Amino acid sequence: MTYQEKVLYRQTWIILIGIGVTGIVVQGWHSAIQGIWELQLHPARLINDYTIIANTGAALVNAVFVAGIGLVIARVTGVRISGPVIAAVYTMLGFGLFGKTPINSFPIILGVYLSSRIARTTFDKYLLIALFGTALAPVVSAIAVEVITPGITSWVLAVAVGIAVGIILPPTAMVMLRFHQGFNLYNIGLTSGFLGLFVASLVIAAGGELPGTMIWNESPDLTLFLLIPVLSLLFIILGLLRDPRRGWRDNIKINTLTGRLPSDFMDLVSIHGSLVNMGILGFLSWGYCVAVGAPLNGPVLGGIFTIIGFGAFGKHVKNCLPVMTGVFVATLVFQVSLTAPGAILALLFGTTLAPIAGEFGFSLGFVAGFIHLAMVSRSGAWHTGMSLYNNGFAGGLTATLMAAAIEWYQAILGTEKKEKTHEEPK
Amino acid sequence: MKNRNDLALHLMSEVAHFILESDPCRMIVSVHLEGDGFHLMMMDDLERDEKEIEEINGMLHVAQRPELSGYYGSMTGLESLGQARLNMVGWQIKYGQIIQREGGSRIDLLVGGQDFDPTPFELPGEGC
Repeated sequence: MTYQEKVLYRQTWIILIGIGVTGIVVQGWHSAIQGIWELQLHPARLINDYTIIANTGAALVNAVFVAGIGLVIARVTGVRISGPVIAAVYTMLGFGLFGKTPINSFPIILGVYLSSRIARTTFDKYLLIALFGTALAPVVSAIAVEVITPGITSWVLAVAVGIAVGIILPPTAMVMLRFHQGFNLYNIGLTSGFLGLFVASLVIAAGGELPGTMIWNESPDLTLFLLIPVLSLLFIILGLLRDPRRGWRDNIKINTLTGRLPSDFMDLVSIHGSLVNMGILGFLSWGYCVAVGAPLNGPVLGGIFTIIGFGAFGKHVKNCLPVMTGVFVATLVFQVSLTAPGAILALLFGTTLAPIAGEFGFSLGFVAGFIHLAMVSRSGAWHTGMSLYNNGFAGGLTATLMAAAIEWYQAILGTEKKEKTHEEPK
Repeated sequence: MKNRNDLALHLMSEVAHFILESDPCRMIVSVHLEGDGFHLMMMDDLERDEKEIEEINGMLHVAQRPELSGYYGSMTGLESLGQARLNMVGWQIKYGQIIQREGGSRIDLLVGGQDFDPTPFELPGEGC
């Protein structure tokens, strides 16, 4: 581990511990612990806002536990603490506010570990799949406490299914990458949505019921409101601390990259520039939510944390804005409220399509965002909320469609160009 | 040896994609398969300046990143959109370098096996 990585690793722990301590301080120790236990036994399918199911403190501490697991595993496997790991840890932190818990995430991670053993490879090669793959944590919770009467049998079955899903995740994720060619940043979203379809179909075929749920905190407290601006400011300060001029310059350089998977900004440019980028993206997303009056609850903060994390691994203002604009205009065209859960989450998580804008420009990024809103409104019902990255699923389908169309169009252009060249007199 | 052959094919495809982007007149691919790996050499007739050589070597010399090569590395050589990305190659190889020779450049990639001697290989004939 290099000196810079050590600093980044420590900074990440300090931030996580800070969030956890804040949760305990605002809620009180007893209430937070009680709430955390409640969350472990609660259904986790989309959308279950932990900030109202338990309380703000419990949700924050639960999120820190989930993210902490990711950071510990990354450290134990010895991979570099860089853009991809930072993206995974902050995504886990965000989803720890509405769906992931240590208990429902663990079987998936164990399954991916077993998958690496079956493939006779090392776990570090599958690490990111294991961390992002906790998107399927609701599968474990659904079987344990929703579909079957909760008890030892339901939990044993839930863990077994979670492990089985984890085993099949890596091969599926690698195939899914080829569909969109790296233009969907949440590739595990496409993968887990795809696998979620099978799980949901099997559960329903076996007579189980998976009704839609929507637990959404309409009036989150001040702690949740202030969390993102405070953290974003901290990221910018950390990025500029050593050499402010370099921090800004590197951030400008990051904005020239396409962001296509895998774009480790911390490796391609610098850690400092990436931290500034994470802070700016945090302020941008938070500012939009405040401007339209969206509640800064668990799922919304989850979306912002994910954007912040991917500020080190593919997202920047220049490639996010076109997609966000596309979702925003679609929201107006389809007459959806700007603060409706689906619309606000689509705008935040829709930035999974940022590489399309990064590679092909504003107009195609806008089109991707526009289509995304329509897709994501339907896709959640297909897997009955079994995959937490529903926007990654819809985004993957949109990116696949656009990649296919662009490839076809470019091939035609290439052929015409070739024919013209041959026709030119020598 | 399916994995070795698959990896060779993917790396070959990505590097070929990279070379063909610069529109060369000639490109030669040589693969020497070993029991424990392979040596891939690709030659073209392009004149590259020092800065470009340095950039390419930078991409080929990136540290091994198992977390990226094992997962995202599965895209190597399979992308048909956008530019070729040599850093994806760099994560997966033991050693790689580009050298500018008279009449073109040569990219060497080594995965595993150490016995192969690449010196006798040259690009014969004249370019376009």
